[in-house]
Amino acid sequence: MSENNVSEFNIRMMVYCALFTALIIIGGYISIPIPVGPVPVALADFFVMLAGLFLGFKYGLISTVLYIALGALGLPVFAGGKAGLAVIAGPTGGFLFGYLFMTVSIGLIAGKRKPSVVINLIALIAGNILLYAIGTPWLKFSTNISWTAALAAGLTPFIAGIVIKIAAASALGRVLLPRFKQNMVSASAQTETGKGV
Amino acid sequence: MAQVTFFHYIHKDTVLHRMDGRLKLLCMLILSVSSGFATDWWDYLVPLALAAAALIAARLPVIALLKDMRFFAVIILIVMVTNAFTIQGDPIPYFPIRYVSVQGAVTGLRFAGRLILIIMVCTVVTGTTSLLTFKNVIEWYLRPIPFVPEVRVATMINLTFVFIPVIFDSYTEMVNAQKSRCVELRKNPIKRMKFIVFPLLSRTLRRTDEIVYAMESRCYSEVRTRAVFRTNKADWLILAVCIAVLVFVIL
Repeated sequence: MSENNVSEFNIRMMVYCALFTALIIIGGYISIPIPVGPVPVALADFFVMLAGLFLGFKYGLISTVLYIALGALGLPVFAGGKAGLAVIAGPTGGFLFGYLFMTVSIGLIAGKRKPSVVINLIALIAGNILLYAIGTPWLKFSTNISWTAALAAGLTPFIAGIVIKIAAASALGRVLLPRFKQNMVSASAQTETGKGV
Repeated sequence: MAQVTFFHYIHKDTVLHRMDGRLKLLCMLILSVSSGFATDWWDYLVPLALAAAALIAARLPVIALLKDMRFFAVIILIVMVTNAFTIQGDPIPYFPIRYVSVQGAVTGLRFAGRLILIIMVCTVVTGTTSLLTFKNVIEWYLRPIPFVPEVRVATMINLTFVFIPVIFDSYTEMVNAQKSRCVELRKNPIKRMKFIVFPLLSRTLRRTDEIVYAMESRCYSEVRTRAVFRTNKADWLILAVCIAVLVFVIL
């Protein structure tokens, strides 16, 4: 049984998951608080998008879960160096859960297909809609503010940023993804032959 | 080549280096939790003093570390300034800029204090714990939790901490290379972002591949001898001090 586990186990994907977790953490540090509400402008969601796009549904989700788990343990990884369960339960917690759904949706739509700009774009837009569809109502109900105030604090200030991030992510996907996926395929082919021996 | 000492292990022989990793991690978590509970000035000053003492006791190169923290200094400054300007309140008496409120400045200082504390604690822990010990400690803590492949998760967490300095190193290298070619003179922010994000990511991905090859060629496996930990009295004393600080901050 344990031998079986060892052979299934993929070092490459494990390392890439860790890489994207590190990128999300760094993106969280590059955050600017905005005056209208508790939600800061951060680059973390950009890297969450990339995790979904590059790693796919399963490994992207592992990488995002690892990020949230590290923060829950008390390591200062959330936007602006915050940490702890209080952040997850707090007003911005919805966005953290939204990250999970965003990775899953981007990973599922963009998935293992051949990288295509249009599909990536659709995946990124769907992921962002899901993120804010979870984050903004959570913000409303946890701080007990009106819908207008919740939208002003949780959605409208970010629209320009979302557009730039989606554009950047899809551009990055166009340039780096083909090479990345090819690398992946050749590496997994190597592992396959290695298994046979 | 950029000399980044921040978040890197520095080998010395001090009390903190010899300390049991399990207790050290626990101390770190306690201090970082205590920063969340802080309310008045003493609640910030006492943990900060403790972290500063730890930094000195660990004999880490403080000046070099401070130089590397310029990045965080910029973030802290931005946060402080935005807080000071945007939170409504009474203006500071005799201060030339009228828009800065007392409440805003205090909130900004608090945020800065919390961030500085967390950064200091993390620096001490990463500076005094080798990555292998760190991984063994995480593995030890995860072992009792069911359905978690502890070795794999510990390795992934460990790799995450390996990557943060790797990414910072490649960022510094890349920016220096670009500066020497005058790329930073471009004014267009989207172009500049393109020149930073693209090379940074492709560079990091390449380094990741190198790490993968290094692990594969050394026959990385999850089946290994379990680490043995030893605890002495000084370790428990440090833990007791940390718990005392936590209690002090909560009360």
